[in-house]
Amino acid sequence: MSHSDLYAEVDRSAYTNALAKCSPITKTFFALSSLILTVSAQSILVPITIFVICTILILGLAKVKSHLYLDLFRYPTLMITLSCVIIALFGSGAPLIQISLPWTTLSLLGGISFSVNTFFRVEGALSCLFFLVLTTSITDLCILLRKAHVPRVLVEISLLIYRYIFVFLEVSEKMNTAQKLRLRPSGWIKRIRSIALLAGSLFIRTLEQGERTLVAMNARGYDGTIRVLEDFPAPRKITLLGIVIFDFVFVILIFLTVNFGVLMK
Amino acid sequence: MIFRLENVSHRYSDGTLALDDVSLEFERGERIALLGTNGSGKTTLLNHLNGILKPTSGNIYFEDKPLAYDAKSLLNLRKRVGFVFQDPNDQLFASSVKQDVAFGPLNLGYTPEHVKQLVDDALTTVGMTQFADKPPHFLSGGQKKRVALAGVLAMQPEVIIMDEPTSSLDPLAASDILHLLLRLNKENGITLLLATHDVDIVPLFANKLYILDKGEVVSEGTPKESFSKTELIRKANLRSPRIGHLFEVLKKEDALPVADELPLTISEARKEILRLIDEAVKESKKRQQ
Repeated sequence: MSHSDLYAEVDRSAYTNALAKCSPITKTFFALSSLILTVSAQSILVPITIFVICTILILGLAKVKSHLYLDLFRYPTLMITLSCVIIALFGSGAPLIQISLPWTTLSLLGGISFSVNTFFRVEGALSCLFFLVLTTSITDLCILLRKAHVPRVLVEISLLIYRYIFVFLEVSEKMNTAQKLRLRPSGWIKRIRSIALLAGSLFIRTLEQGERTLVAMNARGYDGTIRVLEDFPAPRKITLLGIVIFDFVFVILIFLTVNFGVLMK
Repeated sequence: MIFRLENVSHRYSDGTLALDDVSLEFERGERIALLGTNGSGKTTLLNHLNGILKPTSGNIYFEDKPLAYDAKSLLNLRKRVGFVFQDPNDQLFASSVKQDVAFGPLNLGYTPEHVKQLVDDALTTVGMTQFADKPPHFLSGGQKKRVALAGVLAMQPEVIIMDEPTSSLDPLAASDILHLLLRLNKENGITLLLATHDVDIVPLFANKLYILDKGEVVSEGTPKESFSKTELIRKANLRSPRIGHLFEVLKKEDALPVADELPLTISEARKEILRLIDEAVKESKKRQQ
């Protein structure tokens, strides 16, 4: 799946998943509290449990396609694996292997427990965020951000960027095809030149689009603030309570496993 | 008179004279077509009617009062005169259909409940209720156009201005939009002003037609009157509707006794053909006797 396809799929999922009609407050509350639990836990037990729970919610309850969920993990996991290898090799802690060289001593695998811990924390945290991203639409998230008193300008700009990403994705694809059809020269330098041309004209297009959108917004009485209809289902109290209890259980678990020793300490 | 333009000219900052001494007027409840080629000044003219552009010279009257350009008067004007732009991507900026339709009424300062009601009504009118929570990039061209129209309808305008209502739509979507507009005109008394270069749709909806050529109004009247002036139509780089053209040829080349006011729509053509056959039958009966 290409990058733009992946984004489009994630976006589609946010609107079409089985939890789309569920209150965004509930979903955000669950995702953020699980995220905090995951990153604050000392042992790998908590992140693993949260990862499993989030995955079950995403695939089972929200009915997101499993290949999409796996695809999302691919790049971050690749990156975190590389980082964890470095941490494991050179991290602080009692080294497992020491190699003596004439000018220095290499202490290796000292950070292995920290590295394993980091790996599972990141994967757990990712699953929490993917839960939010795959089940909640940008519209709902932006209304929430506004309710949380995030500066207006930020929210308004994110909304506009979100909308026009898709317009320009389409435009750039068309331009790309047009270049190909007119026998875009092969070869590195020439290739870069035609991509630069494409980017340049796309940039001019965005400026023109901005002008036209502003005119159209003015025609409907725009006065400098984008007002939003705060209209989404209210959270069910029982679900919120359930999440609070869930979190509480995990807080206890975190305290119980402070000294849990799978490759710890 | 809901709108009256008096010797309006507009010169863009680059020096092009886009409107040259245009005078026109229309009544409440009319269905007006503004016909002209690309670059004939249609869009410039429309942009004057809800205060996007100011005339360089001349006057515009809305309900016999000259247009004022302060923020408050403009908001009031834009509430009453809705503008649907040619490219729905210019107009649909919000992240969901519902939010986009709500934008206008929210700017008018209505309560959320009232806005919700207006949004529901507007989406029902254009038949897009099931897409309320979808983002605009999920929609087809025709659906986007309908949502853009709903965004204007939700402000409960008295006049709807639409630039190229059928451009880049497939035939079915185009005829849907036209029927919707006609219904709004008939049931809600909304005055329609549509700019187009699609001559075939003009006789389907308009009761009055202005033809623009190089920024000037070169003809005004009913579509039948205007399309009968074939010389003028050709000079403006336009053509008659296909059906009108057919009857023009039948009259000129084949000397059929077609009425002076050429039929322009299918139903008019049908009547005219039946009339011609009728007369021919009578004629031959006379001859037999």
